[in-house]
Amino acid sequence: MARIVVEGLGKRFGERVAVEGLSFEVAEGEVFGLLGPNGAGKTTTVRMLTGLLAPSTGRAVVCGQALPLVDEGSALRSQVGLLTEQPGLYDRLSAKENLLFFARLYEVDEVKAWALAQRYLTRFELAGREDEPVGGFSKGMRQKLAIVRALLHSPQVVFLDEPTSGLDPLSARTVRDAIAELAAEGRTLVLCSHNLPEVERLCTRVAVIKNRLRAVSSLKDLKKEGLALDVLVEGEALTFAPALRALPFGPSVQGEGPRLKVSFADEAHAPDVIAALVAAGARVHSATRVARPLEEAYLELVREEAADGGGRP
Amino acid sequence: MIFSARRALAVFRKDTLDLLKNKGLLGSMFALPATIVVVPIAVVAAYVTRPDATDLKIMAHFYEPNLPSEQALRFMVEKVLLDWFSIYLVMPVFVPILISSHSVAGEKEKRTLEPLLASPITSLELILGKSLASLVPAFVICVAAFALLCVGVDLASYRALGALVLPNGMWLFGVFVIAPLFAFFGNGVAVLISARVGDARLAQQLSGLLVLPLVGMTAGQFAGWLKAGTGYYAIIGAVVLVLDVAILVAARRLFDRERLMARWG
Repeated sequence: MARIVVEGLGKRFGERVAVEGLSFEVAEGEVFGLLGPNGAGKTTTVRMLTGLLAPSTGRAVVCGQALPLVDEGSALRSQVGLLTEQPGLYDRLSAKENLLFFARLYEVDEVKAWALAQRYLTRFELAGREDEPVGGFSKGMRQKLAIVRALLHSPQVVFLDEPTSGLDPLSARTVRDAIAELAAEGRTLVLCSHNLPEVERLCTRVAVIKNRLRAVSSLKDLKKEGLALDVLVEGEALTFAPALRALPFGPSVQGEGPRLKVSFADEAHAPDVIAALVAAGARVHSATRVARPLEEAYLELVREEAADGGGRP
Repeated sequence: MIFSARRALAVFRKDTLDLLKNKGLLGSMFALPATIVVVPIAVVAAYVTRPDATDLKIMAHFYEPNLPSEQALRFMVEKVLLDWFSIYLVMPVFVPILISSHSVAGEKEKRTLEPLLASPITSLELILGKSLASLVPAFVICVAAFALLCVGVDLASYRALGALVLPNGMWLFGVFVIAPLFAFFGNGVAVLISARVGDARLAQQLSGLLVLPLVGMTAGQFAGWLKAGTGYYAIIGAVVLVLDVAILVAARRLFDRERLMARWG
């Protein structure tokens, strides 16, 4: 069952279009990635879906609450959690005071909320630091505390903007494990991230946006779109890269030693790639079809968007 | 929309806790009341040490030409306290400005505004919570300062005058009726300005301009152009009450979540 349904959602600030034409659904227990370059409209989208900004066009339903809102949106916001790009904590207050303030704002039972918070604090290695002023915390500690704050009221939908930003590898892994567990409990998570390996590890589906929706797909399908060939040649493979890049369908070429990874949109061009290599004097030992890395698929989508003239300030 | 007193009180509690831990702001908050209390006590003390001074009688006759000379001391003590009330009113305006500017514009500066607005709190609850957090300390400080002023002035003047000068009806009316109206006004203007500008200092400076009419009023009283009294302050209080209502209406309209997020989030 879909917890988030978005239909033709868009936002304008005066004449400037921040984002338009967004349509997608996110199911219960799903970790959904929202990908796009800086300024693509990811944060605006999250702010619309959390009731912080009113959509200019389209509509959405989040946790059964319709957008645009007909009131101030307290009912919607009590069911969603938001990890903002900046942790946004009160430096003079302790970790506990910060968390209990939000427990009161969400009108949850303080004793239960604190018990839940302590579980997360222990897990994120912040136990024993709860009475210290947050101003003395490191960037990673602040980020972990902000994650605890976003989960304090046990929201059904959680929006996470770069959740592992500023975390060391071990802490990042702990956070990723927690995200996976929340999804397993049936929570819906929307992850805004530039960290594509993290998206690959956590998300089942993604939306790629750059001011408008470029793709909504499962990661598996996204990487299948187009083709990548892993080609083994004699000698330094990159010497043949110019010949491949001159092809009219503009394949992406990466190489190291005798190996070339050639990505292109239409698998009908595979024989043209081999022919171009042979014509350039390459002795081809093998050519294997491989899945494209997510980064390749993502960059291609974002570049196509720019070629379409869809990029906006 | 259901109003939640718990959420408004949560903001009040958090802002008060934050204020108590902000030593710099606390220091600047107490400097003004200390001055407002000490100066009139010092002036009264100076008058009573030389009750028969010719200069004192000349000053009294400047304001009241037909005043019998033996009443000059009492007249000047009462005159100073009457006129000083305009300066005292700077305190209920300025203390909420100091607190509100920090608490609203400070949320933007510290990037805490988005998580706060992403919670279920409504604009009304937020305005109420933040206003309480500045009005309650302002009221407490004003009353405490008044109590100290009464003690100081009476200690200084009792032997010379043979009676307590403070509290009197005008000051009691001023402290418990007029001062809260001014505090509400200062807080409202500071909340509105700090919702529109980016940093606490600018909000303070702009809101601080509110005290200028009070300084002008005091100058007019010292010059003898304006004659202060309970009626005079009641009229000013009525004007401020109208302004308070206008500010309340404007605050509901201008303290808009979307506008705040689009500009400062």
